[in-house]
Amino acid sequence: MNWLLGFYVLVWPALTLGVLVIICAAVLRDRRKAKAEKRDLV
Amino acid sequence: MNSESLHQFSVATIVLLMLAFYGGTYLLTLSIRKKKEDADAFMVSNHRVGFGIGAASMTATWIWAASFYAAATSGYTYGVSGPIHYGLWGALMILFIYPFGRRFRKLAPNAHTLGELIHARHGASSQLILAFSNLLGSVISLMVNFTAAGALVSVLSPLSFQAGVIMAGVGVLLYTLWSGFRASVLTDFAQLVALMAIAVVIIPAVFFAMGGPDQLVAGLGNLTTEQADFFSSEAILKQGAPFFVAVLAYAIGNQTISQRLFAVNEEHIKPTFLTATVGYGAIVIGLGMIGLMAATLGVEPLNGDMNNLIPQMVSGYLPPVFIALFFVLVIGSLSSTADSDLSALSAIMMADVYGKNIARGRASPERMLFVGRLTMIAATAAGIIFASFSLDILVMLVFVGALWGAIVFPVIASCYWSRVTNRAFTSSVLVAMAVFCLARFELVSLHGVTGLLFELLACVGGGVIIGLMVFGFLGRTAGLVAGLLAVLAMVVFATGFLRDYTVLLASLTAYGTSTLVCVLVSLMSRQAPFDFNLIRQRVGDYDGHEPDAGKANSGAPSGASVS
Repeated sequence: MNWLLGFYVLVWPALTLGVLVIICAAVLRDRRKAKAEKRDLV
Repeated sequence: MNSESLHQFSVATIVLLMLAFYGGTYLLTLSIRKKKEDADAFMVSNHRVGFGIGAASMTATWIWAASFYAAATSGYTYGVSGPIHYGLWGALMILFIYPFGRRFRKLAPNAHTLGELIHARHGASSQLILAFSNLLGSVISLMVNFTAAGALVSVLSPLSFQAGVIMAGVGVLLYTLWSGFRASVLTDFAQLVALMAIAVVIIPAVFFAMGGPDQLVAGLGNLTTEQADFFSSEAILKQGAPFFVAVLAYAIGNQTISQRLFAVNEEHIKPTFLTATVGYGAIVIGLGMIGLMAATLGVEPLNGDMNNLIPQMVSGYLPPVFIALFFVLVIGSLSSTADSDLSALSAIMMADVYGKNIARGRASPERMLFVGRLTMIAATAAGIIFASFSLDILVMLVFVGALWGAIVFPVIASCYWSRVTNRAFTSSVLVAMAVFCLARFELVSLHGVTGLLFELLACVGGGVIIGLMVFGFLGRTAGLVAGLLAVLAMVVFATGFLRDYTVLLASLTAYGTSTLVCVLVSLMSRQAPFDFNLIRQRVGDYDGHEPDAGKANSGAPSGASVS
């Protein structure tokens, strides 16, 4: 029960961290691509 | 823990935190500022916003200050399943709109608002109904976010509520005014990074500071049987079901979402919205867990105000630096939503009101920008004034929610079914709103045959929601089958007791009525089927960019529907 409830609470910040990494990596890619195409990021 | 009062910052600390946040955000927007902004970019950037910025912006926009407070309240009130019943359905609002978003984009690749698409499809009356509902929604959202800033500043410092409202309003306006949507999406990314990083730290910090899994399990004894049950029917009926009903309505009725659907690179719509779904769900459900922790510890909300739960837990278990981080978390979330609301409002006034109904195809980009910026200033002033008066927004929310529910089927059907007419769209929304009012305010008896009639309409509404959700992902046949099965299930299981849940009954009735009227009026019409290719020709850019496949008739007036 302890393990299960601990997982239930902590899985959300872990997921948040995963999404944060994905988004940051994608923005870096977007930035490189925009630079290569000589256009604004937004 | 200290639950008697919250940690208090000095006036100087709060002012410095606000200055650092809004000053930093403002400086960030200077990096993209152009002396002469482009009207189209002011509304939707370049229609090629990448996956990273798009996902960050969608997530940050959808998370507003109320998300944390309401998720924690849900965890505190409904126990183990509470945060899920708030965060999951909110996340699904992002997920379920993207299949329809791809259709909107295919029909009108250069649109700035959903209203423009509907104008090209039907004409002014349908478009203005949609624009009006979008306007109301964004003004309410703006007001709620400024109110949250005022409340936070006043509980954590000696500064007044009004001071917090004004600082947030002016701060957001300052960095959004010049570059509009471009500033909004860029700052959304920075704000989301801060927001996520803080959430990743704060949730485990509070969890372990309160005693970790051992304390949580020991505290389960403080919960009621319903609160301790992950499949609690009370949580489903009172929190999950009303949110489930709103899944499609909030997404269709919210210009902040459609604006991003039209701004993101078309190929990236799916990954963008999927990532935003997971991101939103994880942050909001995670912070909702703090409400569950408070419930297991038997914490009483300070002054009986549920909004104090998270600050109370952070204040009670963590050092002051975490309170400052929490402060930034809330200010970041409300600012990212408020700047998106300002951008949404300006786009509606620029494209839907000025572009389509005043300039009628002869819109000047400079004047559009002027209209957009003026709208932002007026909306900020209105938001600050309404927030300062602490107006009761419940009645407005009830109407906006119903209006959004009533437009869901007509909007979606108009994009797939060539026989839907302007009359069908307009009359279905008006009739649905009238029927909604009858049920919501119990202007007619909800007992006996009348009650049964409303329940049957609500059953149709339930079927429409399920049917549309399935249709979005699996197509027409699956949608029809799912919708019919849902209607049958609801007729068997929901008739006889739905009348006791007036809010749910009225909302579902709005869906059911608008669908029935829209279908009937469309079937009775003798107009020729609509040619969807006309939408692409009628909705174009305003700033005279190089033409592409979607800009065949750039800025052309959107004439009356041919359907």
